[in-house]
Amino acid sequence: MEKYDAVVVGAGHAGCEAALALARTGQKTLLLTLSLDAVAFLACNPSIGGTAKGHLVCEVDALGGEMGVNTDKTLIQIRMLNSGKGPAVQSLRAQADKVAYHTEMKKTLENTPNLYLKQGEVCDIEDNGEEKIVKTVVGDEFSCRAIVFATGVYLNSDIVIGPYVENVGPNGFKNAKYLSDCLKKLEIKLLRFKTGTPARVNGRSIDYSQLQEQKGEENIQTFSFLTKKKPKNVSSCYLTYTNENTHKIIRDNLYRNPTISGEIKGIGPRYCPSIETKIVRFADKDKHQLFLEPEALSTNEVYIQGFSTSMPTDVQKDMIHSVKGLENAEIMRDSYAIEYDCIDPVQLLPTLGLKGRKGLYFAGQINGTSGYEEAAAQGIIAGINASLYLRNEEELILTRSDAYIGVLIDDIVTKGTNEPYRMMTSRAEYRLTLRQDNADMRLTEIGRKVGLVDDKRYKVFKNKLKKLEQAKSLLDIKLKLDDTLVELFEENNESVPRISISVREALKRVNIDLFKINKKYSIYSEKEYPYDIINELNIMTKFEGYLKIQQEEIARAKKNEEIEIPEDFQYTGLKGLRAETIQKLQEIKPLNIGQASRISGVSPADIAVLSVLIKRFKEQNKN
Amino acid sequence: MEKTIVSISTPLGKGAISIVRMSGEKALEIASQLFSSKSLDYSNIEPRKMYLGKFELAPNIYERCLMVCFKAPYSYTGEDIVEFQIHGGIIITQKILEKCIEKGALLAEPGEFSKRAFINGKMSLDEAESIIEIIDSESESELKASLSLASGSLFKQVEEMQKHLTEVLAKIEVTLDYPEEDVDEAVRSDICSEIEQVKSRIEKILRDSESSKYIKNGINVSIVGKTNVGKSSLLNALLNENRAIVTNIEGTTRDSIEASFYYKGIKINLIDTAGIRDAIDEVEKIGIEKSKQSLKNADITLFVLDGSQKMTENDRKIKDLIEGKTYISVINKCDMERKLEKQENEIEISALSQKNIDELKEKIFNLVIKEEINFNNLIVTNQRQLGELKNALRVIEEIEQAKDQMLEIVTMLIKKLWQTLGKITGNTENEDIIDLIFSKFCLGK
Repeated sequence: MEKYDAVVVGAGHAGCEAALALARTGQKTLLLTLSLDAVAFLACNPSIGGTAKGHLVCEVDALGGEMGVNTDKTLIQIRMLNSGKGPAVQSLRAQADKVAYHTEMKKTLENTPNLYLKQGEVCDIEDNGEEKIVKTVVGDEFSCRAIVFATGVYLNSDIVIGPYVENVGPNGFKNAKYLSDCLKKLEIKLLRFKTGTPARVNGRSIDYSQLQEQKGEENIQTFSFLTKKKPKNVSSCYLTYTNENTHKIIRDNLYRNPTISGEIKGIGPRYCPSIETKIVRFADKDKHQLFLEPEALSTNEVYIQGFSTSMPTDVQKDMIHSVKGLENAEIMRDSYAIEYDCIDPVQLLPTLGLKGRKGLYFAGQINGTSGYEEAAAQGIIAGINASLYLRNEEELILTRSDAYIGVLIDDIVTKGTNEPYRMMTSRAEYRLTLRQDNADMRLTEIGRKVGLVDDKRYKVFKNKLKKLEQAKSLLDIKLKLDDTLVELFEENNESVPRISISVREALKRVNIDLFKINKKYSIYSEKEYPYDIINELNIMTKFEGYLKIQQEEIARAKKNEEIEIPEDFQYTGLKGLRAETIQKLQEIKPLNIGQASRISGVSPADIAVLSVLIKRFKEQNKN
Repeated sequence: MEKTIVSISTPLGKGAISIVRMSGEKALEIASQLFSSKSLDYSNIEPRKMYLGKFELAPNIYERCLMVCFKAPYSYTGEDIVEFQIHGGIIITQKILEKCIEKGALLAEPGEFSKRAFINGKMSLDEAESIIEIIDSESESELKASLSLASGSLFKQVEEMQKHLTEVLAKIEVTLDYPEEDVDEAVRSDICSEIEQVKSRIEKILRDSESSKYIKNGINVSIVGKTNVGKSSLLNALLNENRAIVTNIEGTTRDSIEASFYYKGIKINLIDTAGIRDAIDEVEKIGIEKSKQSLKNADITLFVLDGSQKMTENDRKIKDLIEGKTYISVINKCDMERKLEKQENEIEISALSQKNIDELKEKIFNLVIKEEINFNNLIVTNQRQLGELKNALRVIEEIEQAKDQMLEIVTMLIKKLWQTLGKITGNTENEDIIDLIFSKFCLGK
């Protein structure tokens, strides 16, 4: 029997990060996938990033992950969303070349020492405590001490197109037929979720002449803090809309739709509704926007964002042809809905390890989330923690104030989810602190400590800190009250100061930023201080006051996170707590008072009582 | 850093002394900004010693009170504790509480002092059960208070404000989280006017509840005037009209309340009139000192004068005493020829023939309760709710200051406001906002 330190099941976005994190920290890792041709496959949008998701990618990168690097390497268009709004909600969004993304990631995996990439379907898991055995359908057996499950939407999945239902994976790939039962055998509770993906059409059949083009942006931040050369924009997206006719076609054929008629029972995400759901729920909207996204440079295929449906193919065809620019579109792949098994994530610890067992980790869509970025974010944490477990070190928990990754994991393991969970900036209470630009400052030291940040990345990071310190010292430069200063303030609709003013003071004005000042005064040379440094310094100074308040809030909240709930603390029969509170606490088994306070329905009075009981428990057990 | 907490630790409205207690790292720092005493040097403060000094309620307005501090860990909670002992009644006590909050203390949660005492090892383990009982019973009574108001309407009003804010938040959040969808951008002026509305609603509730202390405790009226001017007849006239509802509440709330009657549903307490009714001769003995005492506790003073005489030296002495207070000049004996000079804020009555007595009551009522009280209006009787509403107003101030800032800062503050109100309704689930985003806006690929 072949022996490994860890086996990762699934080579999607979560599995890749998990396997790389394990291998890069010295663990001999086997990465099993159903198909080597589907490694890091972008099964839905050919796009990485977007609001809050861009943040996740930057965080994965700051920890030493691969998604950011691979995206920068293979993107064909990049933009900064919300660039007109504040720095905390600005998010990168890229069109990735779907083919190149897969190829490049696969190559990286293949070239990583300690990492063994292999095609194979798992059919049985044996958990003998320290040793675990992973068996595949062809009779291979692998022994290991830790397993990361990152199976995506492949667990016993059904694809639905109108009346056609087939037990296969996304895009008609082979699915995982035995793993659901393996998980049930391990006494893991499963849920059934649903999602979908729109049709792909041949780009040569689209009439772009009447559509609005959406180009990329040059010279903006990249996903990876390592990327030196700014990526080039080589492709465009196009915007079109549904119309009354499209809606009529959908309404007339609703009875043929399996979701509406009740054939599909899985719970679909509210933020990713099929077009028929949109038409039914928002009947007063006379049009819905559709984005046409190129799938890759090596293919003509175009993804129709906003048009996901599980209608029969003849209806799909009519629907697509009713849209401006798509009148003659040739459909290459049909839109489909997919139902799949996933686990109820409240069974996990904030380390993504399974409660009650050692060495079993879960990451990605198997945990009831959606999105590549959410998957990668969990993948890297599951990989880091499996590695820490193997090395007998304390596992890593990112908090809600550390990272969006912390918010994401805390949300799903504490509250659970009843639909595929998507990251949003509004889910983060410390949004101002958790930004893309400072992801490295929040996480790179942590990544270094767990052994994932290599010397190269660490040097880049340390260099940024040094530059930032130097740049900071220049903030006290006085700007003399002269014509230049008057011009700067007047141009920006700010009242002109009466005396000279330091750069720092000037930055407190709403309409003035460091870029504008630097343009006039050239305090920071472009060579010495690249965009990232100026940007960082600008944000840190401009929002100093608010950031400080948030730091105080974080410090207060930390107090509760520090009061740990002992593993053997018994909830049953506790006086002073309501029965439903006890039941919830028992189910979630929060690690500390902070986590307990976030369980829905647990009141401040419950928390007060709980902290008294825990204190008593700890004191009594001391003796 | 554990937050510093504060609360009124004596039952409201009962007892002559009330205590405001603060516990936490910043207790002394906050006290030093509010309380001063000649004998007190904060850097060298002596624990467990009473300091008599003044508490600044507003710039240059002080209340005399006692202060004592206990240093960690030698205190009830094991943290620094500062206590203020106040003689000034409910309103002063609440003001002192508010000032502590304004300087950074937070309202204590139910049973929080005891909880901290336990956590910090100041109590034996056996006492855990009793602490839990305290937490339970205090949160129970708060719950009851808010439930009883639920039917009343504070709960509903706050809930409605929260609902409004949820909509504002959803409107902003959707543009932040879904910049690519064609939803309308949140308009700043709309946001401002929504916040403005919430503000005026909270202010209205607080105003109504300011009046409500009169509803709860009544209006305290003192009657002053020289001997034989007709104070006792006036007292009788005020009471006789309402024979059936004269109450003798001696020894219950304030010793000094002689009698009360109701006017338009408001209890009017005649205070510090002891002796007037039965023994007119006694009045001389009571003298000026007694009048001073009586004035101190009064919301309003009736300065009784004899209309058939000119101002005398004694009248002037009394007038000097009430200078600066709210008073009505009650010109008695109006059936006789008027010889008295015109007085400030006067009303002519005849205590004996009951002339203009109703008009006098109306005047008292109007002077104290400036706006018409609608008895169906909200009344906030609960300390915490009052505190949170005032906190909410402070957050609104922050929002107003930040109104030109980036939208994410504005939303951050609106969320804070929403959560502050949520402490009254018990609803602080962020999920509500996200739910609304998805139910209201058509989003997604």
